[in-house]
Amino acid sequence: MMKWVLFIPELYYVLFGLVFFILSLSKNASSKRLHGIAMTLAGVGVLVTVFCARQTGMVFFDAYRVDLFSQTFKLLLSLGTFWVISSCNELKGIDERQHPEFYFLISICTLGMMMLVSAVELLTIYVAIELSSYTLFLLVPMRRNADVYAETGIKYFMVGVTASAFMIFGISLIFGMAHTTYVTDILRVLPGVIHEPAAIAGLVLALCGFFFKQALFPFHSWAPDVYQGAANQVTTFIATASKMAAAAMVIRFVGFSGGESEVLVNVLMTLSILSMTFGNLVAIIQKDIKRLLAYSSIAHAGYMLVGILSMSERGFASAIYYALAYLVMNYAVFMVIMKIADDGHNLQIKELAGLHKRSPLLAMTLMMGLFGLAGIPPTVGFTGKFLVFAAALEKGYLALVVIGMVNATISLYYYLIVIKAAYLLEPVRPYPAIRIDAWTRSMSLALVGLSVYLGIFPDKFVALTEAAARSLPY
Amino acid sequence: MISMEMAHFPILTAILMSTIVGLLVILCIPDDRPKLVKQVSFIFAAIGLVLALWLYQAYDVQKGGLQFAERYLWVKSLGIYWFNGVDGINLPMILLTAVVLFTGVWTMWDLEVRVKEFFALIYLLVAGVYGVFMSMDLFWIFVWYDVSLFPMYPLIAIWGGTRKEYGAMKLTLYLLAGSAFILPGILYLWASAGGVTFDLFELQRIGFSPFVQKVAFVMLYIGFGILAAVWPFHTWSPVGHVAAPTAVSMIHAGVLMKLGAYGILRLGMTLCPEGLVYWADLMALLATIAIVYGALVGLAQTDLKYVIGYSSVSHMGMVGLGLSTMTVNGINGAVFQMFAHGVMTALFFSSVGYIYDRTHTKMIPDLGGLSRTMPVASSFFIIAAFAGIGVPCMASFWAELMVFVAAVKTYPVRGILAVTGLVVSALFMLRVVQKTFYGERNERWAHIPDVPLFLAAPRIILVGIILFFGMFPKLMLDVIQSAVVPFVGNL
Repeated sequence: MMKWVLFIPELYYVLFGLVFFILSLSKNASSKRLHGIAMTLAGVGVLVTVFCARQTGMVFFDAYRVDLFSQTFKLLLSLGTFWVISSCNELKGIDERQHPEFYFLISICTLGMMMLVSAVELLTIYVAIELSSYTLFLLVPMRRNADVYAETGIKYFMVGVTASAFMIFGISLIFGMAHTTYVTDILRVLPGVIHEPAAIAGLVLALCGFFFKQALFPFHSWAPDVYQGAANQVTTFIATASKMAAAAMVIRFVGFSGGESEVLVNVLMTLSILSMTFGNLVAIIQKDIKRLLAYSSIAHAGYMLVGILSMSERGFASAIYYALAYLVMNYAVFMVIMKIADDGHNLQIKELAGLHKRSPLLAMTLMMGLFGLAGIPPTVGFTGKFLVFAAALEKGYLALVVIGMVNATISLYYYLIVIKAAYLLEPVRPYPAIRIDAWTRSMSLALVGLSVYLGIFPDKFVALTEAAARSLPY
Repeated sequence: MISMEMAHFPILTAILMSTIVGLLVILCIPDDRPKLVKQVSFIFAAIGLVLALWLYQAYDVQKGGLQFAERYLWVKSLGIYWFNGVDGINLPMILLTAVVLFTGVWTMWDLEVRVKEFFALIYLLVAGVYGVFMSMDLFWIFVWYDVSLFPMYPLIAIWGGTRKEYGAMKLTLYLLAGSAFILPGILYLWASAGGVTFDLFELQRIGFSPFVQKVAFVMLYIGFGILAAVWPFHTWSPVGHVAAPTAVSMIHAGVLMKLGAYGILRLGMTLCPEGLVYWADLMALLATIAIVYGALVGLAQTDLKYVIGYSSVSHMGMVGLGLSTMTVNGINGAVFQMFAHGVMTALFFSSVGYIYDRTHTKMIPDLGGLSRTMPVASSFFIIAAFAGIGVPCMASFWAELMVFVAAVKTYPVRGILAVTGLVVSALFMLRVVQKTFYGERNERWAHIPDVPLFLAAPRIILVGIILFFGMFPKLMLDVIQSAVVPFVGNL
């Protein structure tokens, strides 16, 4: 009976989903009220995950593991969801009749991702990832003028199910090698047979499913179209919360190899380099800011992989830290985008012209977010990159780190273009000043503060991520 | 008694905080009070200068070594320390930074466009510079290094002049490409030492294998060398100087470029002595090319700021040449040259800044005969030019002398080539002085008033420093020597 306590965060999000399922039947709640309810529920959700952060234990016949690693990610997920919902007060990109469904799907998707980070049994993992994927398949085409963006939804779905197919094939190979679907048992068997091609193929194919979610090269092709095609809030959700869960799962699966396989390291290193380089080079020529961020997210998936492929405790810890950093800085940028494009249209870079006059605070938040993404100290993004590269160099991957840093310099170019638009360019026709509510103002300050605080005083959080990495079952 | 008590006061952190607190105070001032912003900036710059002067006189030269050290554990699991301290090498640099910030802020008194943002960014930049100079922890050195670089982008792109956006982007990308080598270099040393400490002195004691030293040294050399305008990575420097507004040029050429040379000395040469021995030959070659090349290209320039930009390339080459000799005299001269050149270029840019603000041109053919219209403003430039040439009684005379004596001894051919470069640079400086300030008077500028006393004051301070250390070089050379002698002994 006591064991159900371990499942409280997930149960809470089931409840969250049910509330909006019921509300979606009534059809007469105003969108403002719906937002209020959703925000309250999501806020309480953060508190729930905070209270459950120290839990440990196993449930559901050992298929479900609650430890510091999973709880940290659940906290990040609930935080990401809360932030996304908090900026939905002007959900203009989505038809008003669909608002209850929007919140319903967001909460269920969060539930799926929370189950994902705790699942330690291959089929449970598969079910969880599909739960989160299918809700996203529905969220992406949910936008006003859906006919224009229908292509996006179909594209996302097609690439998504293909990645799932790869993944289930990989899982079946792992099962074939290890004769079990339990992660703890796999960890006992797989490192011993990791040098056999089938084991490597199984792992890499299984990873494909998560690489798809992370938008790692060569599974990135959906990202620019989906970022552009989905409503701004949905894009934000995909770019923040959904990336967390994928990162967690890549860490877990790479850990299967026991850090013994050179082939796997080489595969991951190649993917990481390709992803960084491709993402950064293509981002340079983008005009639409969401497309630009999509390509930058491809690059960031590469940086994160640098930490993971180090396959050391410090490497995994650095990747967790990077995930946290990415959540903070990416959300900061997206929040500004959502506020500027409050009618829900796709924001072009040139529309940012004169932003520092229209709203100095948003301009500063945008700049700090972008500097974070570019890895400039003293922001959390720098500390994240520093930790990731430090872990890689401990394993002696000097060339990889140099390539990573050169990529960071390339990325600075296009981030500077955006910053230049916000601070230097004069608008062709004067845009009105942006009125921001108290919540946005405090969120802006909080994000900037958090970004600098975590950049300068990383000690406690590094210790936390290292403890989380230690709690992984190997 | 007093100094015993004061030794516990974290003077270095206080100097650093004078900029960070200044920055925060400036940010809190409303946009419509530009005058107040300037006053506040001035006060905090003055506080920094007073603290730096106190530090300079309080440093015990007889004892030498690291003094006023502060060391706290910052990030436990990686071994990062908040570790500040001064020795004979960074003490002159901290003084230089304080002087240039103080005079730079003063020079920008007539700024009218986006005043608050300008001074806030200047303070952020200088916080980074102080941080690099005083930190003895590799992590912090890198953090401060980057902090000092990125404000350059808006500073040039917003308040700059000629081709400002191009110059700003080029400069930023070049310098941050430098950090793409520095960070892996630092982490490589850290990982080779077992991944437990970023403390410079602990790392120094470890004694890395020759291979590690060679690899790390070349990475640090390229990374910091870009900022020190080592040929062939110098092309950002003249373009950036030309585009930047006056105070930014002053801080940039006066202090920021010194960070590069300082980084090579403090990180590269201290931690990788064998790497230095292996690469010294190349260093000397590149430095000589920079001296000669900078002088020759400077000869062909018609824009005053380009002239100074290329002379900076040449002068920074002397710093590099001095370092590469690996002798007491050479390194002494190099560090002294860093100080002397810093003050000198600050004077250069501030005098050109005054002329440019009034005439709106810095093309040499458009000017002419200025010494009759504004004798005081012209005299500042002429003094700076003399300092650049290395006329006796100027601080740079001693610096250049020491570098060349050491260089001719260690690398005879390159040393003599470098001396030739100096002669060429004397030629072009005198030519510029002649064409700009003497000769036919251009009547277009006849109505322009000379520098008022208030704006002349910061320039007079710079002139005073050049002459003071030119006449009493021992006051600084003793300080530098106290650190360089043990350093060379370790090589």
